[in-house]
Amino acid sequence: MSFNESQSQDIEGATTAIQSQPDSKTRRYDRQLRLWAATGQSALESARVLVIGASATATSILKNLVLPGIGHFTLLDHATVSPADAGNNFFLQGTTSIGRNRAEEAVRLLSELNDNVDACADTRNIADVLASDPSYFLGFSLIITHNLSPVLLTRLADLLWENPSSTPLIPVRSAGFLADFFVQFHTHEIIESHSETSPSLRIDKPFPALLQAARALDFDTMDSTDHGHIPYVYLLVRTLDDWKATHNGLPPQTHADKQNFKSILAAQKRTPDQENFEEAIAQAYRAWTPTVVRPHLVELFNDVTLPSTPFGHLLAALRSFSERPPHVLPLSATLPDMKSDTESYVRLQNLYRAQAAEEREQFRALLPVPLENELVELFVKNAHGVQLLRGARYGALDTAPAKLIMYLDNLTRETATHLALSALDAWRSSPSRQNGGPTDSELREHVLTLIPGTELGKKEFSDAFGEIVRAPAADLPNVAAFLGGMVAQESIKMITKQYIPINGYCVVDLVDTWTGVLES
Amino acid sequence: MVMSTINAPAINGSHYPDWEGRYYHIDQVLDRPGPRTDPDSFMAGEGVKNFLRNQCKVLVIGAGGLGCEILANLALSGFKDIHVIDMDTIDISNLNRQFLFRPKDVGQPKAIAAAEYIMKRVPGVKVTPYHGKIQDKDDDYYMQFNLVICGLDSVEARRWINATLVNLVDPENPESLKPLIDGGTEGFKGQARVILPTVTSCYECSLDMLNKPTTFPICTIANTPRLPEHCIEWASVLEWPRVKGETKIDTDDPEHIKWLCDAARARAEEFKIEGVTWSLTQGVVKNIIPAIASTNAIIAGMLYHLVNSCIHCSLASCCNEAFKIATSSAAYLNNYFMVIGTESVYSYTFEHEKRADCPVCGGESLDISIPGSWTVERLIEMLVEKQDIQIKKPSLSTTKKHIYFQAPPQLEAATRPNLEKKVSELVPDGGDVTVTATTLPFSLSLRITYT
Repeated sequence: MSFNESQSQDIEGATTAIQSQPDSKTRRYDRQLRLWAATGQSALESARVLVIGASATATSILKNLVLPGIGHFTLLDHATVSPADAGNNFFLQGTTSIGRNRAEEAVRLLSELNDNVDACADTRNIADVLASDPSYFLGFSLIITHNLSPVLLTRLADLLWENPSSTPLIPVRSAGFLADFFVQFHTHEIIESHSETSPSLRIDKPFPALLQAARALDFDTMDSTDHGHIPYVYLLVRTLDDWKATHNGLPPQTHADKQNFKSILAAQKRTPDQENFEEAIAQAYRAWTPTVVRPHLVELFNDVTLPSTPFGHLLAALRSFSERPPHVLPLSATLPDMKSDTESYVRLQNLYRAQAAEEREQFRALLPVPLENELVELFVKNAHGVQLLRGARYGALDTAPAKLIMYLDNLTRETATHLALSALDAWRSSPSRQNGGPTDSELREHVLTLIPGTELGKKEFSDAFGEIVRAPAADLPNVAAFLGGMVAQESIKMITKQYIPINGYCVVDLVDTWTGVLES
Repeated sequence: MVMSTINAPAINGSHYPDWEGRYYHIDQVLDRPGPRTDPDSFMAGEGVKNFLRNQCKVLVIGAGGLGCEILANLALSGFKDIHVIDMDTIDISNLNRQFLFRPKDVGQPKAIAAAEYIMKRVPGVKVTPYHGKIQDKDDDYYMQFNLVICGLDSVEARRWINATLVNLVDPENPESLKPLIDGGTEGFKGQARVILPTVTSCYECSLDMLNKPTTFPICTIANTPRLPEHCIEWASVLEWPRVKGETKIDTDDPEHIKWLCDAARARAEEFKIEGVTWSLTQGVVKNIIPAIASTNAIIAGMLYHLVNSCIHCSLASCCNEAFKIATSSAAYLNNYFMVIGTESVYSYTFEHEKRADCPVCGGESLDISIPGSWTVERLIEMLVEKQDIQIKKPSLSTTKKHIYFQAPPQLEAATRPNLEKKVSELVPDGGDVTVTATTLPFSLSLRITYT
């Protein structure tokens, strides 16, 4: 079965096809399209991912990217399959794979998961490719490494960081039950953040048509059915309007004011449990919670180095929009459900839609350059949650002792575990290393080169060092599965530019079952 | 059943010779304890390896998103005797995450396809599938396993297996304590937990943590629809039975979905409501929860981690003083793990506590206080809705008499007049009422007082 020829249908799209059963590709991806929709899916299908090293963790990550349908992946590995590899990697075929090239074997079995994904095994040595063909790496949209030697990893990270196209890089390190991974990027733009905070209904700053409609309602002549179906938005706008008239134009200020405001709402009920008024009382905070631009956006607006990308232009227009009275973001057309009859609800919804459309046009006029309609609409619809993340260079934290020491105070176990993994890396590349694994004191010595003179007496250090000494080279199937899921989630967030990725290190400890983040 | 020609032995899995180096990775953590390993419950080296690879028998319930992942983890970790139960067949929408299935498998039973695939890929593992319901199996069946891992999408099935395993516990027989490891995911979020029946909190203890399912008042659906969802509910709840009579909706039948979608769209047009689509219709009538491979992998990794803790725990309890160890290890165990990946990564591990009035593992009656004016019907409505009870179709009785029974029909008819009566006419203040339901293998004891 092949889905190559068909574009997936927009899950909520208003096309003629939406009333009939979707095509087989849309059905296959149904459970994920309900998360990231056709825009996210098409981003995934355009992605080219390079994974370096065909370990159990690496193939677990790839499995979770092949299944949702990335466009292309390359697995780069020159090693041959060892008996140990054949034992812990689901994408190798037992003893039959032993002695064959790791990348080729894994790619063969990963490809079975999804015919739509273009796959390639590259059997060259990464060290050679870095030396002879560095531009090779710039042809990918995301690169992931697992336990890559620190010297090569630094070279790769620097190469990507210094190139203007700046392919994001996710280096993953693991040993036994401990792991960390980092997401390297310069900037990352997110329009569809899927923020759980809903946009403002502007009860406190009602637009003229809304205020007018609320004022025009004649409560007294309504029969009890109509009265029981007035949407709470009107009830709040109207009650607030009346309140302001007798309170110098101010909304309720003190706790007593707020209680009083609620009693005014309650006093208008005709029956004790009239639902629309109950809803208004529950939502009364909207009357005194000012609609403002959220702090993360204010911070962005103050950023004078906005990129000259479409996203940067959209942000600039958003800043101009919010600088004008009433100092808000463009209105969202989405109205939550509320107790109401159909007609009143639809009318209210139309008021919001009309105003939202008008403000979208005002917004469009503020754009420094014209942009396509779809993008503008998507941006305005998600304006309250848009994000511009600024990332850091891989390894920067380990050369910033002051920051490490600060983290050590607040995020002790995360920092200790991260440092223990850095120490293992350092031990691996030290010329004096013996076969087997590092000792506790060797790990301590390496950590002290990163944070000289620091006392390493905390239990978090001995816990982390002890685990590394126990299993310095173990790629455990369940840790591989766990990391495979975590890293694939971050990859999907980076590729789709939806949801908010980790900005920094994610540190994992599956002895005490926790994850934590050391932010860049 | 076609077995692959590559390296899949036809012999009983547990006798397949492991190749040298096969367990290089996992042996590193099995041979040596770590600094935080509990010395009382950790058994290093050959003992634990032998148990895991030659003796341990585990049951995986559900061969869906989590089930596929957990089966692969168990097989790679050295478990040789794995059983899997699933009543479903493979649908095309499973293929974005249930990685043991291919397009050619659509329509096949999940348990069987998953078992075949694992045996083909991981040499020497025996996976025994059962295509059917967990309720088909009796206590003897569940007694044979060392532990049970659950990746289910049904609250009802989870309650059933939880209660069954709690009932299985015989304080005289340490082997009757079967750890239950349970996971679930929704989009970028997931949770994993371990239940040691009668020792830690059980599934029923935490029923109030479930998200309340979205329900729409019938008057909204019938009279004042506002959302496309209301129109779809109208089509499936009111219009379908009116037009189609006794025929039940098959949510997997595209013809049925089309009918509902068309009916909902017509109603939406009548009320000027926008947004009824095929996808939304399917989502509402099937109560579809978004699901992706990566979150399942995270939770399955965590479930296996809990399996590992339980293995050490139950090995230690076999060799030492039975329940004492299980109890003391459980004290350190943060039994509940949650992860949310939508905004950076946030995870949380905590100990969920037992409820003394849990109808499954608590033993104490649940005290409820209701107005003296309430009818039996109103009480039943509350039992269906109350977050920590949620018993569909409850039957009620006191030690002396039947109050209301849902079945058999004769008893239902005989007790139906009681629905209109006040509870206070039938049960004295402070009196006990026993609540049962055919779908749940336990009864709930209520102590009723009147306000």
